[in-house]
Amino acid sequence: MAERERVGIGRRHLIGGQAALFGTLLAGARPAAAQNAARRGTLVIGLDISDPTSLDPARVYQYTNPLPTHAAYDSLVTFAPGDYITIRPQLATEWAWQPDGKTLRFKLRQGVRFPSGRTMTAEDVQFGLRRVLNIKDQPAQYVGHIARVTAVDAATLDIELSDPSQPLLTILAAPEFVAMDRALVVEHGGTDAPDAKDTDKATDWLNANSAGTGPYRLVGWQRNQQIQMVRNPNYWKGTPGYDRVLIRHMGESAAQLLAIQRGDIDVAFNLLPEQLDTLKDNPAIEVKGATSLDFIYMAVVASPDNPALQTKAARQAIGHAIDYDGIIKNLIGGAAVRPTSFLPVGVNGSTEALTREIGFREDLPRARALLAEAGLPQGFSFQLAYGNAAIAGVPYQSLAQKIQADLARVGIRVELAPMDQVNMRTLFLGGKLQATLTFWNPPAPENLLWAAATVDRVAKRVHWDVPPDAPIRKLIAAAAAERDLAKAATLWRQYQEMMVDQANHFVLIQPVYRVAVRRSVAGLDLTAAGWMVELDGAKPAG
Amino acid sequence: MLRYVAARLLTAAFMVLLATLAVFLIANSVPGDPVLSQLGDLAASNPATVAEYRQKWGLDLPIWDRYWIFLRGLLQGDLGSSIVSRRPVLADIRDYAPATIELASVAFLLSLLVGLPLGILAAVRRDSWIDNLARLVSLVGVSAPTFWLAFIMLAVFYGWLDWAPGPGQLDPVSFPPDRVTGLLLVDSLLAGDWETFQDAAAHLVLPSIVLASATLGLITRTTRAAMLEALSQDYVRVARAKGLRRRAIVLGHAAPNAMLPVVTLGGLAYANLLSGAVLTETVFSWPGLGRYTYQSAVALDFPAIMGITMIVAVVFVAVNILVDLSYALLDPRVVKG
Repeated sequence: MAERERVGIGRRHLIGGQAALFGTLLAGARPAAAQNAARRGTLVIGLDISDPTSLDPARVYQYTNPLPTHAAYDSLVTFAPGDYITIRPQLATEWAWQPDGKTLRFKLRQGVRFPSGRTMTAEDVQFGLRRVLNIKDQPAQYVGHIARVTAVDAATLDIELSDPSQPLLTILAAPEFVAMDRALVVEHGGTDAPDAKDTDKATDWLNANSAGTGPYRLVGWQRNQQIQMVRNPNYWKGTPGYDRVLIRHMGESAAQLLAIQRGDIDVAFNLLPEQLDTLKDNPAIEVKGATSLDFIYMAVVASPDNPALQTKAARQAIGHAIDYDGIIKNLIGGAAVRPTSFLPVGVNGSTEALTREIGFREDLPRARALLAEAGLPQGFSFQLAYGNAAIAGVPYQSLAQKIQADLARVGIRVELAPMDQVNMRTLFLGGKLQATLTFWNPPAPENLLWAAATVDRVAKRVHWDVPPDAPIRKLIAAAAAERDLAKAATLWRQYQEMMVDQANHFVLIQPVYRVAVRRSVAGLDLTAAGWMVELDGAKPAG
Repeated sequence: MLRYVAARLLTAAFMVLLATLAVFLIANSVPGDPVLSQLGDLAASNPATVAEYRQKWGLDLPIWDRYWIFLRGLLQGDLGSSIVSRRPVLADIRDYAPATIELASVAFLLSLLVGLPLGILAAVRRDSWIDNLARLVSLVGVSAPTFWLAFIMLAVFYGWLDWAPGPGQLDPVSFPPDRVTGLLLVDSLLAGDWETFQDAAAHLVLPSIVLASATLGLITRTTRAAMLEALSQDYVRVARAKGLRRRAIVLGHAAPNAMLPVVTLGGLAYANLLSGAVLTETVFSWPGLGRYTYQSAVALDFPAIMGITMIVAVVFVAVNILVDLSYALLDPRVVKG
């Protein structure tokens, strides 16, 4: 506990020249005992939370807001950290397809209570799901195939799909599709009526309060400052380990580093690889890693402005001229894996072994041969656009320069085009770029969400014309509808082979997110399922 | 005098409008689509969703219609809603401005309290050790990049020596006082919460020193130069010849006359502090306007950009008017001329 005692503010005296002005203010020591007691019961997470616009589950679609939402609410089903293939029970204990083949019936867990003391019933789940559907904000887009949600009785819920071949359970695990304390939300202006888009008034309240069955309850959100949560005393898995959880906004990784070293925060999410290295010998801090499902990829467009890129062999040559291992080793300190194509390592049918087997690998003679095959033995040039940003501590700029150097080895000349992130996105979505470096993070670990994108909207951006009856479309549909995981994995392998052959997307870095956690915290598990961390088991160590 | 004030106010209003127009045109000339920065990938690829969003935020209207809507809203005291935060821009500004005002004001106070005496002493004791010290302070203040200075201060006084608290406005486990003004120092005093007041004050120390550093340098240099000039004037020689005490000469005769350029600079510097705290706010996780401005600019959030432009323009113009008026008070010739 010695580490903890050093952090009390009362013992910080700021002396020195200009600070004399404030010296008197600091001189009065704060009651250190009370401060330390408060500290022990509080989990402080340092995280850049400048992105969320809402903490209302029906409007959660940014990067960091799933974290508090998942802590406050429970979904019907969930994923365990590290396993993004097996669906596990959460509020639902079991589920089964009904004889009609399009309705999933869920049996709900008994004795789950909201912080208000009310018992959770199927009505509350129905309310939460219908509200998302009818508010029609971005989360609703992923469940457009839900035709009806019906509470059969207090412990049974039916979800009927208009298209049962579309996946549901993987998406329902996300913290947007949750049970809500219906009476409480209605009391604050909430509704799940068909016109909820215009008549629901609960978002403001839900931005600072929560109405879920999760381990912690939201009690405040000061934008760009902090999100405050307190323990849910009625949590169904038992009393949560902390009285309070604070998510502190810290936009600067250097500030996060200092704060976790000092013990002002217990968890630091946004540290750079070199900063994490400095923590290696710190006995008070552990660096945890979790392979994400996000990736940075290069999209190469069969652009009308660049005939060379319209040739598949030329694009494949690019794929064989990149030093993939060098990128992962030098740009992100080895903290990354590389999937074969547009399915991240960790989902069904995508492994690192498969990448080594069928993915692109650095092979310069082969790249030269492919260039010759494309009728471009002298190489060619193209423009590579990227935003002024960094992902997982890797600036796009550095990545672009590395690719430029790599491709130059086989005579492919890359012209770098840095631009503002919004411009880049506008141009890319309009199909107006020749190539770009960009990032993909999934709304849920569902293979179809990646695969469908590659043949639909992303295909358009890279000028890949995929006709409605194309074999790859049939393959994706079959793989998504396949309920046997092993058979589905075989189909997904075929999909990835086709994607590699098409050579429009080169996935370069799937980061292993590394998070620094003080050893005074136990039971905190990182997850890549979308909500970053599981807080239900977190508790003070020792 | 009244006519002078009225004329100044009229030009000021015109200047503010001109500023908003300029920013509006510049922001609109950027080819990026603000809607795309706010929609997820799936939504951004659905033309119907994009069209709905464009309509919702009025982005489908011709550019001049949009400017007209902005002006109309302005007359009704409505700055529109931010595309990013989905809240009224005024509500956003109300949330973020106090943190910036508090920080900038403390920084300004600090640079005056240190800069003025230092500048005057440096001029009076020209080329002495204190003059050299003033030189050093100004040089470091003006030339040290804010970002760098902020990190160094944090690393040394928080990370290493543990004399000052870390980033943020308050300690993680302390609760903010009930919001009255939004200024933590004021609100905590109103609530009679001495502990929170101390906490807030302690958190202000490092960022305000960082933010003050550049201004401090400028004020010191300007004060010194103005004092040197004043001290070489005939009336100072006369005062000396009359046998007045040195203190009376410096503070009673030279200093008031040397204040004119310092007031101008001080006014502008304060306006600058209010609008230019982006870097300091970023490093110190300070929930102020700087961060909001940056985010709005990056996302091409037109209503927010326009709102902030308005506020910044009004602050600059208001400060300028105050400076001009104080000129008129300090130097009656201004009005007559």
